[in-house]
Amino acid sequence: MKKNKILLFVLIAAGGFTALQSCGDKRSPGRTYMPDMQYSRAYEAYTPNSLDKEGINYIPQPVEGTIRRGDLLPYKVPNTPEGYVQSAQVKNPLPLPLTSAQMSEAQRLYNINCAICHGAKMDAQGPLATGAKVPAVANLTTKVYVDMPEGTMFHSITYGKGNMGSYASQLTREERWMVVEYVKRTQLGGAAAPAPAAEAAPATENK
Amino acid sequence: MSQIIKHAIKVVSVFFILAFLIAPNKSFAADGEALFKSHCASCHKPDAKYVGPELKGAREREPEKGWVYKWVRNPITMVQTDPYAKKLHEEYGSIMTPFPDLTDEEIDAILDWADSYQAPGAAAPGAGGAAVEAPKSDNTLLYGLLTLVLLIVALILLQVNGSLRKMADESEGIPGKKPVPFYRNKAYLLLFAIVLFIFAGYYLVEGAVGLGRQQGYQPEQPIFYSHKVHAGVNQISCLYCHGGAQDGKHANIPSVNVCMNCHLSVTEYTGEPLYHDDGTQVDANAEIQKLYKYAGFDPTTKTYDEKSAKPIEWVKIHNLPDHVYFNHAQHVKVGQVACQTCHGEIQKMDEVSQFAPLSMGWCVNCHRTTNVQFNDDKGNGNQFYSIYEKFHEDIKNKKYDSVTVEKIGGTECAKCHY
Repeated sequence: MKKNKILLFVLIAAGGFTALQSCGDKRSPGRTYMPDMQYSRAYEAYTPNSLDKEGINYIPQPVEGTIRRGDLLPYKVPNTPEGYVQSAQVKNPLPLPLTSAQMSEAQRLYNINCAICHGAKMDAQGPLATGAKVPAVANLTTKVYVDMPEGTMFHSITYGKGNMGSYASQLTREERWMVVEYVKRTQLGGAAAPAPAAEAAPATENK
Repeated sequence: MSQIIKHAIKVVSVFFILAFLIAPNKSFAADGEALFKSHCASCHKPDAKYVGPELKGAREREPEKGWVYKWVRNPITMVQTDPYAKKLHEEYGSIMTPFPDLTDEEIDAILDWADSYQAPGAAAPGAGGAAVEAPKSDNTLLYGLLTLVLLIVALILLQVNGSLRKMADESEGIPGKKPVPFYRNKAYLLLFAIVLFIFAGYYLVEGAVGLGRQQGYQPEQPIFYSHKVHAGVNQISCLYCHGGAQDGKHANIPSVNVCMNCHLSVTEYTGEPLYHDDGTQVDANAEIQKLYKYAGFDPTTKTYDEKSAKPIEWVKIHNLPDHVYFNHAQHVKVGQVACQTCHGEIQKMDEVSQFAPLSMGWCVNCHRTTNVQFNDDKGNGNQFYSIYEKFHEDIKNKKYDSVTVEKIGGTECAKCHY
């Protein structure tokens, strides 16, 4: 009975595929046809590795003292109370004034990274600050921050200050200086930031 | 005439009296909240301990009447002289910022507001819960049963029809055919075969296509991290944490220090209750404590212990096969594609699941229909595309008004497979 055999094969295949897919279980990624084409043999980003156990000398961090191509020289002032005072003397190494493209990029970076607390208008009315969640957010339009030297601002962004964490991992040195320059140019209400934080946040941050 | 004037004066005076009676109360109630937000909210909550004590009932706790006015205006000297202020300082460890400008009335307005403060959502769950738990009507079972009943009725009618014909034939003396049992009846067998073919074929094709795809994959993460709370309610930009999406291939999974930027001071969750998949409520504060454990952070002393810190092993959701190349920066920065296009409305998801099928057909479809950000004479768009001189010519000659990704090679095999 050849017919029956074909029928049986189709049934088993259908059942098999359905079972392999493990449909309905959203906690499992399911299965795949050819695992050697699906899963990388090389280590991908964030995959666990056992290199140290295998005796392979692998350093996940850049070698100390190396500078990324095109990046600014490292910031040497230490994260100490003396360093904080010293930072006032540090000058912005970028050619000033920034071009309009740099300024709009700085504004975009400010809206993503800073406006969430300090507010798009720098008045400490960011969504996290007004929700009474992050306490004691600096109002950048007040005299203390208007008078604050650029170097000190850069120092605080680099190492963090008070409740603010370090943004060294999120902004490169050049980006930090750009943001500092943007804050300095804007905090007096010169070229007010038009985009409110609410709109800048989830939907249009890629604009 | 004089009567009209008298009448008018009466009306106006009554209006003024009413205005005096109503206005101060109203403006004080409003002022209290506004003053609280501008002066106190950084360190105080109306109904819970924060950096400083809760403001509710502050006047009941004060050692003598009027103490609080002195305290607000000059806490620094009070800490050195007043025993109650000393005690507060020991308990909370920091001295309040002085507000010498606040008047007694303003301080009263703030405290009045705090005394009458009701946590938002405290009354809501009773009403909201009922609506949520209303059973979803699913009619599939009903329709299935109905079909089954109709099928049985049809079968019975067929049988009755057959029996009746047999009886009629017998009474008229026509010799009946030998009865065939239903399992050897060719019509039944054919029907069964067709139904089987359709069902088996459907599952076969579905299963074969779905193998290796994981749309809807929603793994359990080590911490119940709600994108809805962070990206939706609190409006944190996607690129705040996933900044790599604009700079490189990977949209970074943020390291713990990025979490701690805010959670250094955000130590408890005060928003709408969150729910697990099975309907149980998430203990959001315990989830924040989990973060502190990963960070090696002690929330009481606000210090880090680097030795006990370890990275959070988030589970990757969107997995592309190794033979496909995908670059985030190319889409986010160059193509200006919104995150939500491929990841769905992340800002509304508590637990993230894979929104798109991530199949090749899905990729290619988008490349066929999406226009590239061609530059124009005004300097808008991506200046890289200046090198496509012929397309610019054609656009100028109105041959077409836009250029899709496909036209600049976005569906070439080697674009993604090499």
